[in-house]
Amino acid sequence: MNSRFIVTPILCTGCRTCELACSFTHAKDGKVGRSRIYPLDGGFKDLYVPVVCLQCEDPACVKSCLVDAIYFNENTGAYEINTEICVRCMACVAACPFGCSLFDTQQNLVIKCDLCGGDPVCAHFCPTKALTYKPIAI
Amino acid sequence: MITVTINGKLARAKEGEMLLVVLRREKIDIPALCHHEAVEPYGACRLCMVEITKKEWDGWKNMVTSCLYPAADGLIIQTHTTDLIELRKTILDLYLARCPNTPEIQELAAQYGVNQTSYEQVADPNDCILCGLCTRICDRMGFSAISAVNRGHGREIAPPLKEAPPDCVGCLACALNCPTNYIKYTDIGHIREIWGRKFELLRDARTGQPTIAREFAEYLSKHRNIRQDYFEQNDESHRKETALGLGKIAIWSREVPQ
Repeated sequence: MNSRFIVTPILCTGCRTCELACSFTHAKDGKVGRSRIYPLDGGFKDLYVPVVCLQCEDPACVKSCLVDAIYFNENTGAYEINTEICVRCMACVAACPFGCSLFDTQQNLVIKCDLCGGDPVCAHFCPTKALTYKPIAI
Repeated sequence: MITVTINGKLARAKEGEMLLVVLRREKIDIPALCHHEAVEPYGACRLCMVEITKKEWDGWKNMVTSCLYPAADGLIIQTHTTDLIELRKTILDLYLARCPNTPEIQELAAQYGVNQTSYEQVADPNDCILCGLCTRICDRMGFSAISAVNRGHGREIAPPLKEAPPDCVGCLACALNCPTNYIKYTDIGHIREIWGRKFELLRDARTGQPTIAREFAEYLSKHRNIRQDYFEQNDESHRKETALGLGKIAIWSREVPQ
């Protein structure tokens, strides 16, 4: 776990390619509602902020999960949901202060960004390098 | 790692792992109603029965519930023999006598070719198969608001004394994981009703959309040390606020001379 997912909002053009890439990666039908990343209006002219799971240290989703379904993946540095264990109580969806734990109403699953198992597809597709996944010195 | 034989094919498994987990990982379709990864196996529905044998057993076989049987080295497992299919048919036949109007049971029974029960039907059928998944999940989450009451014919799942359960927080984990959708709940506006108790759902301050029950949020903030105002916004509002906050930081950091 020497790499970090780095979001640079100032470079984002709001083209929403990451949203499509995420949807097509995680759902075969590619509906935008299944995306784990949301490029939203940043409150200034021409400023968009891709809101995505920040993989916090001591995250609220893990603290709120009463059945320990969310665990830390040592290899990728991402918090992942084991959907087999999840009981869909929606505690993590309500608890995340960044709103990045999502409920998929089509499949009745709680979803969140898992960094695509160590190689985020959105970073490959971002045309302006606002999203990058690169090694950093710790 | 140990090696087991499933329907003639070799498969790897961890020592002590339950057979059902191994079979599901090998993409073998085993019906199971009472199984959930979050809780300990229970063996209530009996549909996940498999036939096991070992080389040193001299041809002796045993039928076990795969959710409760730990994998061991050299185990030879058969999942769809004639005996097993007959056994599952009988179980589903009995389920149909108890729950004739449950779509999930009907679907599963139709897969095994049982469309009509051959037993006498229960006088007042309901959807509950008494698998105990709801009570186990409630215990696992630490509430223990519901449990199985009475014995024999009168056994049913109910809150204590069949009154509004004082320990329930309205998280809906029991209702959403019930294999037959027996547990009913209603969400009308920002009032949720389950097990005869009414819960007030917290509402998003901006859009007014309901999030989770107030009792659940209070429990989480008290026992899990999460600020309660996190629960007073839904995920969409949280995201918008995050975008505005990070946008300000982005503009500010751009104006700072490098």
